[in-house]
Amino acid sequence: MFYKRLLCTQTTAVRHHLHPNQWPIKQVTKSNFSKELEELKTHICSSDFVAVSLQKTGGCSVPWQRILPFDTADTAYLKAKTAAERFQILQFAVCPFSIKDSKLIAHPYNFHLFPRDELKVGLPSYSFSCQSSYLTSMAKQGFDFNECIYNGISYLSRAQETATKVQIGNLSHNSYMVQSSLVHSVADSVFMERIKSRVKSWINACKTSNKTEDALISSLRKLILGSELHGSRPCLNIDVCSERQIQLALETLKEFVDVVPLRVPVKGGGMQAVRVVLTSSKEDKILFENELQNNEEEQNKRVRGFREVIDLISASQKPILAHNSLNDFAFIYSKFLTSLPPTMDDFRTPLRLVFPHIIDVNHLMKEIGPFEKINNIPAAISYLKNRFFAPVDMEIPNQGEANINNIHGNNVLKICQLFVKLCTILKISPEVSEGDGIQLSPSLQCHANKFTPCSNSSEEPIDEDVEIWTGNNRRVSINNLVFMWGFEGGISANKLKGLLHDSHEVFSQEYDIRMVDKTCAVVVFWNPGFSELFLNTMDSERVISDKMKDLISEGLRATGYETYKKVCEKSGLWRSDLAECLDEALEEETEVFLEAKSREEQSLIYWNNDEMINLDEL
Amino acid sequence: MTKQTLVRALTKFQTLTRSLCTSAATSDAALKNVTKSNFEPVLAELRRVVRESDFVSIDLEMTGLTSAPWRECFEFDRPDIQYLKVKDSAEKFAVVQFGVCPFRWDQLNNSFVAHPHNFYIFPRQEIQGDGLSYEFLCQTSSMEFLAKYQFDFNACFYEGISYLSRSQEEEALRRLDSVYKDELVDPSSNVREFADTELVRMADILYAERMKNKISDWRAGLSRDRNGGSDFQESSVDMNQNFQTTFFKLRPALAVNGLTSRQLRLIKLVMNLLPFSIFLPDVTEKHFKDLAYVHVTCEPSGLRPLLVYTDSIADRDMLMREVKDCRRKEEEMKIKAAVGFRHVLDLLSSERKLIVGHNCFLDLAHIYRKFFGPLPLTAEEFVSAVQKYFPYIIDTKVMLNSNDVLLRIMKRGSTSLSKAFRLLCSQLPATLTSSGLPNEPRVKVEVQVDDQRFSNWNSGAKHEAGYDAFMTGSIFAKACCHIGIDFNPDVPTVDLLHEEKLLKYVNHLYLSWVNENIIDLKTGKIVAESLGSTNIKRQNLKILSPNMVLLWGLTSNLRAKEFRDCLLKVYGTGSVTSIYHLDDTAAFVQFSKAEFVSKFLELKDNLERVNDPISILHPLSKLLEAGCVRAAGYEIYKEICSSPISELFFTDQVEAIGLKLKTRLELAIEIKRQEKYKINSLHFCEDRKDTDPEINATGTHSSCHFPGDELVDSLFPVEAQMSK
Repeated sequence: MFYKRLLCTQTTAVRHHLHPNQWPIKQVTKSNFSKELEELKTHICSSDFVAVSLQKTGGCSVPWQRILPFDTADTAYLKAKTAAERFQILQFAVCPFSIKDSKLIAHPYNFHLFPRDELKVGLPSYSFSCQSSYLTSMAKQGFDFNECIYNGISYLSRAQETATKVQIGNLSHNSYMVQSSLVHSVADSVFMERIKSRVKSWINACKTSNKTEDALISSLRKLILGSELHGSRPCLNIDVCSERQIQLALETLKEFVDVVPLRVPVKGGGMQAVRVVLTSSKEDKILFENELQNNEEEQNKRVRGFREVIDLISASQKPILAHNSLNDFAFIYSKFLTSLPPTMDDFRTPLRLVFPHIIDVNHLMKEIGPFEKINNIPAAISYLKNRFFAPVDMEIPNQGEANINNIHGNNVLKICQLFVKLCTILKISPEVSEGDGIQLSPSLQCHANKFTPCSNSSEEPIDEDVEIWTGNNRRVSINNLVFMWGFEGGISANKLKGLLHDSHEVFSQEYDIRMVDKTCAVVVFWNPGFSELFLNTMDSERVISDKMKDLISEGLRATGYETYKKVCEKSGLWRSDLAECLDEALEEETEVFLEAKSREEQSLIYWNNDEMINLDEL
Repeated sequence: MTKQTLVRALTKFQTLTRSLCTSAATSDAALKNVTKSNFEPVLAELRRVVRESDFVSIDLEMTGLTSAPWRECFEFDRPDIQYLKVKDSAEKFAVVQFGVCPFRWDQLNNSFVAHPHNFYIFPRQEIQGDGLSYEFLCQTSSMEFLAKYQFDFNACFYEGISYLSRSQEEEALRRLDSVYKDELVDPSSNVREFADTELVRMADILYAERMKNKISDWRAGLSRDRNGGSDFQESSVDMNQNFQTTFFKLRPALAVNGLTSRQLRLIKLVMNLLPFSIFLPDVTEKHFKDLAYVHVTCEPSGLRPLLVYTDSIADRDMLMREVKDCRRKEEEMKIKAAVGFRHVLDLLSSERKLIVGHNCFLDLAHIYRKFFGPLPLTAEEFVSAVQKYFPYIIDTKVMLNSNDVLLRIMKRGSTSLSKAFRLLCSQLPATLTSSGLPNEPRVKVEVQVDDQRFSNWNSGAKHEAGYDAFMTGSIFAKACCHIGIDFNPDVPTVDLLHEEKLLKYVNHLYLSWVNENIIDLKTGKIVAESLGSTNIKRQNLKILSPNMVLLWGLTSNLRAKEFRDCLLKVYGTGSVTSIYHLDDTAAFVQFSKAEFVSKFLELKDNLERVNDPISILHPLSKLLEAGCVRAAGYEIYKEICSSPISELFFTDQVEAIGLKLKTRLELAIEIKRQEKYKINSLHFCEDRKDTDPEINATGTHSSCHFPGDELVDSLFPVEAQMSK
C-alpha cells in the first residue's frame, strides 16, 4: 500500500467542478416516471456500472441493534433483515456511470418512493416504521415530504406481483399450454360434452343473430344463452369450480377456431369462470390477442411501478456499487424481490442470481485504512483527500431540465467518485468486458459481493472469527466472547473492569471489555478456554471468590455467544436493552430444557388417552 | 403542476399550503395553525382562553390506526381485547396533529365563542442520549388518507412541536440527578481513561511542552499583575490569538479558541501533569491547584473551553460547584423546554375543564401514552388513571346515539362527525328558522381567530384536527340545546359540569364503536344497557368467550360454510352458533355449549396423533389439513393481542410470538412438573440461604406465561379421564 502524502490542495482543473449541492440530479416522481424510465434504460445499457443509494425512514432503534464489529456475517444479516422489514425506502438514487480515460461520466437519478396502495389490495406494505431522527435529518436537508407522500412512486415486489395476479381480478389470456395428457373420467366427458354443445349453440346463435331480429327476441336469447359482450365482441361465461374443470374447458374450446378463452378470476381467489370471446375472423382473432397482450403489459407497468428500475438493473447484469451493501441490499431484496430468507447463506445465493456483481465501497475503504473508523461517505472522501492525490473529473451530461439546487440523491454521485478514487489509489482496473456475460477485471472481481467489511471472502464458509471493535484488527473466535449484564446501568467499561478485578482467576490474565449498550458488556478473553471456564463457574454453585459472589448476588449474569445469536434470530422480541433480550433468551433455554424433561413422562399417559378418546368416538 | 410547485415553494418552511389556499379564497381568517415557531405566544394566549372557557373540544390526527388487519376491532372481541387493541394502536402510532378548541359562553352576544387551534406535533428527540427510541409506525392507508385531505407533512416533520410525557420528563430529571451525583463522587473518572494512553507521539510531546510553558507564563503573568500590576498588558500580548485573557465569574481566565479537539485534550493533559493546574469539570486532583478548566456554553459554537485562575483550593471547589450547578440548571432548562406541547395537556388537566371529543377513547389513549405515561394493562386501570387528569369527559358520539331527540335529527343513520355537523350545525338563513320552526332550540357559535370574530366561519378543512375539534364542540353545543339545556342571555354563566341533563353522558365513552360497548370512566365497567334511548339498532350478538375456539393456520380454500358443515357433522345440528373470520388465516368458532370447546381440542389432538383409518375418515380431518391448523381457547387470543409484535397475518403473528401451544395434556403435566420444580427450587434456595435469581425467574415464569384460567381448566380433563 502506498502512502503518498502530497499536499491536499487540488489544483487540477476540474471541468465540472460543481459544489455537491449543485450537481444536477434528476428527481423522479409519479408524474415523470414513465418518461425518465425510458431514458434510464438507455443509460444503464451504455454504462459500465450502476451506483445505488437509499434513503430510509430508519436504521436501527437502539445501539445494540446496529451492525457491530463483533457480529458474525449471520448476526449482521439478521440485524439488516430486521431493519429492512421494518423501515421504508423514501428515496432511491440510481446512477449509471462509466469511466472513460479516468473521467467519470454519470447519469444520476433520484426516485421518490411511497408504498401507496395503487391497486387497493393492501400492498406493497400495510405499515412501516419511522425513526424521528431520520425524518428530522431529512428535513434538515430540505426533503419535501409532501411531494414524496403525495406523488411518490409505488411498487410491488416480484413475490407480491405473483401473489396478486389473481387478486387483482385482471382477465388473463391463457398463455400456457393446455395439458392434453389429462385422463378423462366419465364425469369429465359429460362436462366437456356439455360445454361443447353449449358453445356450439351459442356460436350459432351469435352468427344468426347478426341478421335483423327483433330486439326483444335477441335480448331474450342473450338471457337464455348467458351471452354478453366483451368490448365489441360477444362472449360467454362458463362457470367452473376447480382448476381441473378450467383445464377441461380450455381443452374443449381448442376445437373452436374463432374463440379466445380468457380466465376470469374472482377477487380474493376462489371460484373462477372461463370467458369465451367470439372473434369474427382470423385477423380479428390476432388483433384481439394483441390487444390483450398490450393490456397486460400496461397493467404490469402499473403494478410493478418503481420495480421496473430494479428489473432493468438486474437484467443488465451490470456491476452495482453501494455503500454498506448488506443493509441496502437487504432492503432491496425485501421490498422488490421477495421476503428475506432466515439466514445469510440463503440470502446470498438468490441475490447473486439477481445481481451478480455487487461492490461495496466501504469494503474497498477498509483496504486502505483497515483501522480507521470511517463509516460514512463524506468522512471517507475527506480521509482520501487528506492522504492521496486522486482527482476525479466528473461529467454529468444531458441533465438540462434537472433542478440544479437539489441535493437529494447526491450521495450516489459521491459513491461514484469514491469508487473512482479508490480504483486509482488501489490500482484496481475498473475495466468491464462484455463478452459472455459481464466480466470484471480480476483486481475488481476479488472485491465483489462482500457484504460485511470483516468477511474475508464470499466463497469461503463464513468464519466464526470476529473483530472486536473497529480500529483493531485482532481477530478472535466467537467462542472467546462472553456477554455480561446485570450491573449498574450506564457504567463505563473501565469501571466495570475495576469491579471484575480479582473476582475470578480469568480476570488476572489479558482480557478486554467493551460496552455494547448501557446495560450489557462484551468481554473478550484472549486465552482460549477462559470464557468456558468463567461461564461454568458462573453456573455452578461452587464456592468462588467472595467478590464474584457479591457480584452475582447483585444480579450479574453472563452467557456465551450462542445466546446472543439466539437473540438476533428472534427479532420480533427485540427490546431496547440487550440485557433484557439475553435474559429472555436464557429463560427460554431453561424452558426448553424443562419441556424435554417433561416429555419423558408423557408417553405413558398418551397411551391411555388415545384409547379413551377412540372409544368415545366409536 | 407549476402552480402546485409554486405554492409549495412559497410554503415550504413556515406557512402551510392548506391555509394559504383557503385564506386566499375566502375573507375569513384561516384556522390558527401552531408550529414550533409560534408555539410560545399561542400557548400564553391559550392559557387565558382555556381558563375562561366552558368546555374544550379536542381532536387528533394519527399516522395510523391498526398495526395489522387482525388488530382491527371485531364484534367478537371482548372488552378486555378491545382495550388491548386500542392500547397497541396508541403505543405504535404517532399523533401528528392535535386540535384544541375552547368554547366560551358569551352572554352579551348570546352565543358561544370558539377558538380553534390546530397544533402540528412531532415526536422529535430533543434531549440527546436519553436511550429512548423515537420510533413510530405509519399505516400506509392512513398516510394516504391524510394526503388525500392535503395534510401538510412538511409542516409536521419540519416544524412540528415536540413533547415529553410526564414519565419521560421524570426519567430525564432522574438521570440528570444520577449523572451529577456520580461526578461528585468520582470526579476523576473521566480523566483517568485517557491519561494513561497519551503523549506517545513526538509531535504531541512537543506541543504539550509548549502549552505547559504558555500556561505557566500566563499564570506567572497573573501573579505579577496582582503583586505589581505592571505587565498584564505584556503577558496577554505574548499569547497568540488562540489564547485570550478574559474573566469568568470574577476570576481571570484564559479563553482557548480555535484548537482541535486533540489539541484541547493535550492541554487538559498538560494541566493534569503540571503542578498547580485544575481542570473543570474534568478535575484533576494533582498539582496546578489554582487553575480550573471549564467549558462555558456560548453561542453559536456551543462549548467554549476556559482556563480559570482561582485563589485557593477552596475557591476552586467553589467555582467548580458553581459551574456544575450552572450546567445542571442548563440541562434542566433543556428538559423543561422539551416538555413542549405537553404544556397544553397540563393546562387542560389543571383547569379541570369539561373535555369534549367525538368517539374519543382512542384519542384519550394516545393522549395518555404520549403526554402522561405508559398505558396500564387493563381498561379499568386506564380509565381511573385518565379520570385523575381529566375528571369530566363527554363523547358526542355517545350523546347522539343515546338520545331520542338527537337520534331523530340524525335520522337514525350514521353518526359520523361531518354528517352530525351538517345536520345539527348547518346555518340556515335567519328568516327560514325564525318563521319555519319556532320551537327549534337554537344556539349560535361564533369563531374567534386572533382578534377577529366570525359568525359564519367555515375556513377549515375536513379531517384537519383543529377544524374537527371545532365541529365536535359545535355539535356538542347544539346537542345540549336539543336535550333541553337553556342557553339564553339571562343566564350569566353556564355550568355544564353540574348540568343534570348532561350527567348521564359525562364520562361515558365508546370502548369500541363496533360493539357499542360503552365504558363508564368512573367505575371502569361496561355499561350494560344503552344510556336511556330506545335505539336498538341491532341485536348484539351474544359473544360467549368460553364457548369459542380460535383456529389458525387456515388456508384460503376453506370457507366458513364448509367449516360449519364439518363441525355440525361431528357435534350435531345447532352445536355451532357462529363462525367469525379474523383474517384469511384464522377464525373463531362459537359453539353452543362450552364443553364442546374442550371436546373439540381433545379430538383434534387425537386425530393428529393417531394415524388410523378412523381418524383419517373423520369429518374433522378435512378441517385440520394434516396438522397445519392449530386451535386454542379464547384466552390465547388475549395473549396474542397483548404482544408488542404485529405481523400482517394472524398465523404469522402466533409463530413470531413463539407461543408454544401445548396440548391440554402437556400443559397439565407441565403445571404439575413446574409446581414440583418450584417446590424443589424453594428447598434449594433455603439450602443455599441466598436466592438464586435464575431459578427464581423460571419458577415464577411458568405461572405468568399462561393465562390463569387456562391452566386451571386444563387440569380438569386429565383428571376426568383418569377417573373414568
